[in-house]
Amino acid sequence: MKKENFGSLLLGKWDTKTIVTVAIGAALFGVLMNYGSIPIFTNTSLTTAMIVPVVVGAMYGPLPAAVACGVGNVIADLIGGWGIYPAWAIANFVAGLFVGALPLYGARVTEGKFDVKHMIWYAICVVVGNAIAFGVIAQVFTVIFEGGDMNVSLIQGVYASVGNILIELVIGLPVIYMLAKRYAGRSNLTEE
Amino acid sequence: MNNRFVINYNPGPTFFHKLSGFTKVFMLLVMTVAIISTFDIRILVPLLIINVAIIVSMKPNYKPIIIVFSITFVTVTLIGNIMLFFVSPQAGLNNVGAEHIIWQAGRYYISKEFLWYIFIVFLKRTVSFASVMAFALSTTPSQFASGLNKCGFSYKISTIVSLAYRTIPDIAEDFVNIRNSMMMRGLELEGKGVSFFTKLKNYVLLLVPLIFTAFGKVGNIANAMDLRGYGKNKKRTYYAETEPTKGDKIVRALTVLLLVATVYYVVMYRFINPWPAKFWCPWLSRDEIVTVNAIDTLFFMKWFKK
Repeated sequence: MKKENFGSLLLGKWDTKTIVTVAIGAALFGVLMNYGSIPIFTNTSLTTAMIVPVVVGAMYGPLPAAVACGVGNVIADLIGGWGIYPAWAIANFVAGLFVGALPLYGARVTEGKFDVKHMIWYAICVVVGNAIAFGVIAQVFTVIFEGGDMNVSLIQGVYASVGNILIELVIGLPVIYMLAKRYAGRSNLTEE
Repeated sequence: MNNRFVINYNPGPTFFHKLSGFTKVFMLLVMTVAIISTFDIRILVPLLIINVAIIVSMKPNYKPIIIVFSITFVTVTLIGNIMLFFVSPQAGLNNVGAEHIIWQAGRYYISKEFLWYIFIVFLKRTVSFASVMAFALSTTPSQFASGLNKCGFSYKISTIVSLAYRTIPDIAEDFVNIRNSMMMRGLELEGKGVSFFTKLKNYVLLLVPLIFTAFGKVGNIANAMDLRGYGKNKKRTYYAETEPTKGDKIVRALTVLLLVATVYYVVMYRFINPWPAKFWCPWLSRDEIVTVNAIDTLFFMKWFKK
């Protein structure tokens, strides 16, 4: 197997399969944004859409995950008809970069390689990425683009980051684990 | 079930439906830039009128639009403003530049400028909503993809967009089927007596089959596209992109005019002769306005100032 350097892992391989995966990921993101919310109280809910960059990232790397996340957010806004919020699309893109960075630290989910070390790295990436993307980037751009109030934005940022971190850890980890197990089952052929 | 989606898959009969994809994508991009760049009611109201006129001219089915708009109104505007009132009642001073208090109870108060701030933010959201709605109602996914391509995006992005639109109804159907069958087997996903972590755990059980169904199609679709020579050439033409008609040319010219006006406005009123506060307000003159450094308005900054 040829050695892959950092840059090519970051960009991913943009062949037809990647494009189709990103497209389906974006569609799944749109559907989950519209249907797959977990209600907590009456009006607050957590969206399960953030599982998409985890899966796409696990299979194809950070940039495809980021594109799936950003395009998915725009599409979700368009089909839901909520209006385009560029700040959140940018934030989702950045979050996708961090969350989908699985191949960068050696997790090869498609080959069934995902152990405790990778889980810890994944958790760090998820926490840092969401704090940067939804805690800082989304709120700064909301204040610039939409004139939101800084204090309200701060609260929303903390809420959004915590919600997404929760989803990506509590739902994301078992999902990657199952994916890895499934792929491992496919590839553990031994020579006789 | 599909009533919840406003996106339109069939070309319609009116003037705006018949415009080419590039015209509409270009219009949406320019409109978004124009809306983002200003907090001025004198710009926002004409933009709102244009977009509402476009929506009305298409004679759409108003029911889903009104439903979506009211949901957005309740969740974003109403809750956001109640939160704003408790968290920072001085938002009027920060953004509009003055305070004429009309009601006060202890720490909390409402000023004329606070209401003006709320109104402008709401107006801006509404204009953004209307422009996206006008676009979503008039554009089919293939027009959207061809328009994006002609705006200079790589055709791979266009493919992602059109393919995503194409698969949304399928995935939505899969999702509803899987959810219903899981609920039939006694998986509790909503309802009162269920604890939050049970719900989270159950969503894992719901999402795993959904992810495998959705991504299981990738191989088939990719092979079919490869067999038809996808990605062989650097460029790609689109069946949906037609020669510009007379209507296209007029709308494109008007859009360019809007772009020029936006650039002129930003250069003139943001850089050369800026209004001292972020929001323009009709009852305040230049001298009355107090400028506030935006960073100082963060609530934790006062802890450092002691």
